[in-house]
Amino acid sequence: MLNQVFTIAGRVMLQMLRDRRTMVLLIAVPLVIASIVGVSIPEKQMLDYIAPALLAVLILFFGFLLTGISFLRERSQGTLERLMASPVSKLDIVGGYLLGFLLFAVLQTMILFFYLIYVLNVSFHGELWQIIVFEIIIGILAVCLGIFISVFARNEFQMVQFIPLIILPQIFLCGLLWPVEQMPEYLQWIARFLPLTYGVDGIRALMLQGQSLLDIGKEIGVLAGYAAGLMVLASLTLRRGASS
Amino acid sequence: MTKRQAATAAVEVDKASFSYKNIKAIDDLSLEIPRGISFGLLGPNGAGKTTLIRMLVGLLKPKPGSIKILGQALSRRTAHLIGYMPQLPSLYNELSIIQNVNFFARVYLMNDKRQREKRVEEAIKLVDLWPRRKDSVMKLSGGMKQRVSLACAIVHKPPLLFLDEPTVGLDPELRFTFWEHFAELTRQGTTLIVSSHTMDDANHCDRLALMRNGAVIARGTPAELRKATGKKDANLEDAFLYFIHREEKNA
Repeated sequence: MLNQVFTIAGRVMLQMLRDRRTMVLLIAVPLVIASIVGVSIPEKQMLDYIAPALLAVLILFFGFLLTGISFLRERSQGTLERLMASPVSKLDIVGGYLLGFLLFAVLQTMILFFYLIYVLNVSFHGELWQIIVFEIIIGILAVCLGIFISVFARNEFQMVQFIPLIILPQIFLCGLLWPVEQMPEYLQWIARFLPLTYGVDGIRALMLQGQSLLDIGKEIGVLAGYAAGLMVLASLTLRRGASS
Repeated sequence: MTKRQAATAAVEVDKASFSYKNIKAIDDLSLEIPRGISFGLLGPNGAGKTTLIRMLVGLLKPKPGSIKILGQALSRRTAHLIGYMPQLPSLYNELSIIQNVNFFARVYLMNDKRQREKRVEEAIKLVDLWPRRKDSVMKLSGGMKQRVSLACAIVHKPPLLFLDEPTVGLDPELRFTFWEHFAELTRQGTTLIVSSHTMDDANHCDRLALMRNGAVIARGTPAELRKATGKKDANLEDAFLYFIHREEKNA
């Protein structure tokens, strides 16, 4: 029921807003990272290549981390068990988390986008709304990935250990720092299976090549496919930990 | 309560079993709990009380066996009839008391804002926390968190309330207060199912089921169970030990 989705989304947002330090960090950290990238890469062409990819990388990183830890808390504090005993369905819970976190993801994307364009003078030939839509698709994937992976962690320390396992290889192989085509063939083959590769390709096409969402159908399709698969896995595994 | 409603039990468990991998937590258990009373599931740690409560609120599915609540087969459609207070306080620490209670009111489909606000106020007042309603749960003591947890469980006025060891870790004064709240709820017609391993809690219940190794070994009112021992001054602890010894002899 849509009403229940909004109820859970509202609570997720309220929790985030009441945690002021997390809110400040959510906005400040991407700007600090973007600033470091901007200062350390004086060559404009190189900065144009790397900076847009940050939009895809950071949305995946923060979406995964925030959802994973929030969901882990939901399991360990017993609130998930309480929700599972209520009229709320598993899809309401996943949908509520998606909606709640995506609003922060959009906010984060917009702040980072304007910083890249107006402070770091990164080239831009696309449309902002198309970038936001594409970022939302990556955000959905990140939230579902976070919910799913949280099943395998018993505490926050373990959840953080999944970053080097799940997120870092994607950052190294997605083409953020050097083109995938220049990697050894076996790494290119691995990169083709990683969703962030398509996220980075898509955002570069939208920002630098002036392409539209219709031109990056393959990237959107792959990301949506991953997101749908992870959403099913997240829903199926939701009960684990709530009742064991 | 209509005659027909009164005729159906609050809870009917029919030959239910449940295992965690190779460990049998509930073993071919059948139980009927009448409406409008406080019913105690009494037993030592590991007796299967929490597993049974989780089955009764729909978190675990009996394999095999069936469960009915208020005459209906247990499903998500019956979830709104149930209030559940888990062993842990199970609250959102970042939110205030009123935000937690209001969230659970909305989860239980209380969509009318005015009615919801009234019920939230009543539930928080019942647990004597109204003056502190805006305090973050994080800042509360363990006992206060338990009280908020109770308010979250009763906010939608469920006819059936499951309380899993609700008085664990509470001081005697607070335990007494809790039982006053519970008595008030049964007076209002709520059926209470309380799991506990303390005899103090058991004495407050109208009826009891003594559990051991996933099965009910005796049931009745506290007076009936005490009387069964044959001793004049027997307390519930004596009764519990008597039924354990009898069970072991029969085995």
